[in-house]
Amino acid sequence: YPLFQRGGPQLRIFRPNFFMLAVRPGVPQPEDTVQFRVSMEMTKVDIRNYLERIYNVPVAAVRTRIQYGANNKRNHKNQREKKPDYKVAYVQLGQGQTFQFPNLFPEKEQDTETGSFDDFRNKYVEKEKQKQEGDPRRGGVPDWFGL
Amino acid sequence: MAVVAARRLLRPERRWFSQTEPAGPSPASGPLYPPVVASITAKSKAAQQRRLERFKQQVHEAATVEEKLRLYGKLQRPKYMVYPQTFALNADRWYRSFTNTVFVPGVPPGALSAGAAPEAGGAPGAGAPGTTTTSGTAISPEPAAGPLPPLDMGELRSLACDALLQESFYQNKKRPFLYRDQEHTPGPFLTQLVSTLAAFLSGRNPLLAASSLDLKPEVNYYWHHGEEVVAHGHRKGRVDPVRFQIDDKPHLQIRVPKQLPEVVPLDSNLGDVPVINHKPSKLPLFKKQYENKVYIGSKVADPCCYGHTQFHLIPDRLKRERLIKARLEDQIEVVYRSNGIASLFAWTAAQAMYQGFWSEADVTRPFVSQAVVTDGQYFAFFCYQLNTLALTAETIKNNPRKNICWGTESKPLYDVVEDGNVKDFNDEVLLNLVRFLLNRPKEL
Repeated sequence: YPLFQRGGPQLRIFRPNFFMLAVRPGVPQPEDTVQFRVSMEMTKVDIRNYLERIYNVPVAAVRTRIQYGANNKRNHKNQREKKPDYKVAYVQLGQGQTFQFPNLFPEKEQDTETGSFDDFRNKYVEKEKQKQEGDPRRGGVPDWFGL
Repeated sequence: MAVVAARRLLRPERRWFSQTEPAGPSPASGPLYPPVVASITAKSKAAQQRRLERFKQQVHEAATVEEKLRLYGKLQRPKYMVYPQTFALNADRWYRSFTNTVFVPGVPPGALSAGAAPEAGGAPGAGAPGTTTTSGTAISPEPAAGPLPPLDMGELRSLACDALLQESFYQNKKRPFLYRDQEHTPGPFLTQLVSTLAAFLSGRNPLLAASSLDLKPEVNYYWHHGEEVVAHGHRKGRVDPVRFQIDDKPHLQIRVPKQLPEVVPLDSNLGDVPVINHKPSKLPLFKKQYENKVYIGSKVADPCCYGHTQFHLIPDRLKRERLIKARLEDQIEVVYRSNGIASLFAWTAAQAMYQGFWSEADVTRPFVSQAVVTDGQYFAFFCYQLNTLALTAETIKNNPRKNICWGTESKPLYDVVEDGNVKDFNDEVLLNLVRFLLNRPKEL
């Protein structure tokens, strides 16, 4: 590639490793604050532009800090294992919006039927039958029939 | 001991000997043993309580106010620095929760209309510029000659326009340095406007004639509110009060020897204080450890120990244009409100401490002060009534009183200054300013 001088054609595009990962805050944050783990090379301006232009999220304020990953654990060879450093961004949303990190693993309600071993057995037999059947979109045609 | 010896002598005698035996120790001499109380130096909750009580007793019994303030702020620990002029979003809601303040939009009822009514005080001609000195010496007004003529808006308007034009048009100034716009034009304009208006109105308001005008004074206040558990360090795990400190530098300040009248009774309930369950560091607010100062602008011995009006200038980084450019239009009013609430709370609370009140000895009369927050063109007026100083975790439990802050939205005084003319001069704002300056106790 020829050396780039101002005014010349842009022949190369550099794509920085910019990523943002929304995380659940370890300590409770105010309602308008969202916590992200971002790439170490991103600045507050980068984070604001990223959210506003790609996701149309109004950003009022951004604060960042770098979390040092500990270097105390040792592996089986007694070498220190470093946990990687990462940057944390606290983004305060504009226009009065709020955000609450959702519960990603809600507990399913198990209606426990008292006794009735037969029901359990019937359910097990149905599940086995469903596994044995093929793709329902084939309309009951066995799977050895085809190309 | 003498009793025992006497009994030993008596014992060989016969019982029927009718001498009455000497009585035991007389009960009137008091209990034999000292009272059973907790230790002072032990590592126990009872001992901690006893040390607290001893400290409170010490402060209660301090001879002078200076001694009280010295003992109150003796122990230094990391504390949150509360800045009245802050970029933090929605800071006024957080500040209201720290200071137990209710915000009521609009001007306080009745307090302003009394000031505008002409009352006997002196000829308006006595208010030539320069009569209000900065050293606080009282100027006795001329004896009352009769009811004064009503305020001449034209004259006041010309005073204000003169000051404005002098600073921004007639005077040849170089370009302001980067981010020093506010101290280039609006700062001197505000100083000039306030000093000329105060001098002009001191004929009507004898309190102004006896007032003291401070230029760029310092106002500090230190208080505790709420509790937290210490997270790191050798004191980890202990329950500590949350400490705050306000260090404010208003642009101008008027201090008077007499207290402004109360606006509403001490125990009135005009609204709710916001409750925020997050730590103050989420605002963001930062901790530092330094001197715990309580100061109103002058030392305790000064006769002008009550506050009248403060004037604040909004700094360059919080100007309207910058906030609009950053698409934070709703934060413009928040800046004015947080400045008004925090500065006035610090000033009124420091005035109350100068009179000997503190969180354990709550105020018996409300302390009232006023403030004008401006950026040179837009003016917002605030009035604060301090009803309670008891904000610590144990004193706030049964405290029904709340502090009250009245505040207006920011309104422009003028539109633009062009070619020696001031366009769109707003008389209402000037009238509000004049009413603020004319506010005085009912006796005067």
